[in-house]
Amino acid sequence: MFALYKKELKAYFTSMIGPVFLAILLVIIGIYFFVVNMLNMIADFSVALNAITFLVILIIPIITMRILAEENKQKTDQLLLTSPVSVGKIVAGKYLALLTLYAIDMVIICAYPMIMAKFGDAEIARSYSAILGFFLMGAAYIAIGMFISSLTESQVIAAVVSFIVMIFTYIMTSITNLLPTDHLSVWIVMGVVTIFVAIIAHGMMHNKIATGIIFVFGEAAFATIYFVKPELYDGLIGNIAGWFSVVDRYKDFSIGIMNITSLVYYISIVFVFLFLTIMRIKKKRWS
Amino acid sequence: MIEVRNLVKDYYGHVAVNNLSFTVNPGEIVGFLGPNGAGKSTTMNVITGYISASSGQAIVNGYDIFTEPEKAKKSIGYLPEQPPLYPDMKVVEYLMFVADLKKVKKSERRKMVKDIMELTKVSDVSGRLIKHLSKGYKQRVGLAGAIVGYPEILILDEPTVGLDPNQIIEIRQLIKSLSTKHTILLSSHIMQEVSAVCDKIIIINNGELVAYDTPANIAKVMEESRELIVTVKGDVNCSKNVINNIEGIREFRCESASEMLCTYYIKVEEEYDIREQIFFEMARVNCPVIEMRQHEVSLEEIFLSLTHGGSNQNNRRNNMKRVMEVEE
Repeated sequence: MFALYKKELKAYFTSMIGPVFLAILLVIIGIYFFVVNMLNMIADFSVALNAITFLVILIIPIITMRILAEENKQKTDQLLLTSPVSVGKIVAGKYLALLTLYAIDMVIICAYPMIMAKFGDAEIARSYSAILGFFLMGAAYIAIGMFISSLTESQVIAAVVSFIVMIFTYIMTSITNLLPTDHLSVWIVMGVVTIFVAIIAHGMMHNKIATGIIFVFGEAAFATIYFVKPELYDGLIGNIAGWFSVVDRYKDFSIGIMNITSLVYYISIVFVFLFLTIMRIKKKRWS
Repeated sequence: MIEVRNLVKDYYGHVAVNNLSFTVNPGEIVGFLGPNGAGKSTTMNVITGYISASSGQAIVNGYDIFTEPEKAKKSIGYLPEQPPLYPDMKVVEYLMFVADLKKVKKSERRKMVKDIMELTKVSDVSGRLIKHLSKGYKQRVGLAGAIVGYPEILILDEPTVGLDPNQIIEIRQLIKSLSTKHTILLSSHIMQEVSAVCDKIIIINNGELVAYDTPANIAKVMEESRELIVTVKGDVNCSKNVINNIEGIREFRCESASEMLCTYYIKVEEEYDIREQIFFEMARVNCPVIEMRQHEVSLEEIFLSLTHGGSNQNNRRNNMKRVMEVEE
């Protein structure tokens, strides 16, 4: 695990990607810090960070795109998967290397609230809460990007797909506000989702019977809910969309609330996507 | 020791390996021979745990690769078809990484990597980036990577591809010298190469085991299907008469380009060498030999003869005819 961790971290610094990633993130945070906190004299670093959550989405794919796609392309995954290291440790080592890279910047920006504090009263606690939230959000996005990278051989595809998925999680809340909330529409939406789930399941299992069972039972379940207990559909789409809205959870941190659910949410996102990555690599052996 | 039992690999309808079973004993070098797409790489990938099997077992050093993968993988050094190299790493860096990955003790790593670089003759490029190396050097770095950690079993997929003749000989010698300590399974599609290095040969075709024997026995089959090709100028009937009277010919056929020129394809019994005789006899009847050469049987022809034939002689001869038809 540490062999891979060291190798990945080294790889980021022997190529341009690592320094460029660190620099872009620092420069932009620096600009916002200067404009928002210094020029406008707002003694709260979270305000600056709030303005640049979108930036995370823009630059995380830069570091995650190559992490597994490159191994797939160069066939070096053959070396990793035939060496006496479990898939879980391979994925963990790689993830930790990415996280370290991101954490380097987070450690550096920890100095900013201190700089402000030197010149007067600053919102220290809220600033650090925002930095923690920012770090956790990045950690979640890195896990998502890594999973997407494991799906393909092409770094470009990995970057573009990560980008689309991440933007989707960013605008999720705004989209759900536009969707209808009456029971019939929710039923229709869930019916369509079931079809997609069945299609994906068929792609993974190549088994018509199992897919058929998923499809029939899924549709039957949603129909039953509609006729028997339609109250369950109240706000269902909003709730489900909320699960995917990674950025939303950051808002709690940025106003200084250490919400356990948000913390657990981010950690679960990380573990779910690491798990999916492991499953994806293992599954590749079986096809 | 490698034990493969009833291995099947099915890619959704396309059967790459079909019910393959064999055993490689400790200290043996076994050559894995087959035409392109025969399932060599697939089998090796299964044994090393890179891909799974649809059914069957692969037991490496007493550990089943599917149920105890980490223990089994510990005793395997694998050089895949395309060496798994990181182009942005230096050679020595790469080998140190592989040593780390294979859990070689930190104190031994540096010395082991140095020894292995000398063994595979890559010391002179140790400080260069892998992406700048030639194909031959890349191949050797890949081989070095497989040897790192001195695993008991080496699985080498076409180790001499892309090397120049000198390097091929060096690598062969290296592989031979390694066999004192390691069990080696190597694949190739070159018959000569395998028979030069290996104690035993496994031939597979279409994912099925065709033959598992010593090179000597397989060479015997080759010998039987060897042909002598003689082009003779002069009256066809006359030269045919001569050939008919020579002892030791199993069968022959002739193709006349014109009335005065005829090419004979002669199958000779193993213990006979009739080349001199043909020369003198033809000279005697004034039919000069324009060309005479021994046609070495290609691997594909052996496959045909082995895959379609039984063990009895007649059957094999029929196959030889079929081989000829294929050739034409």
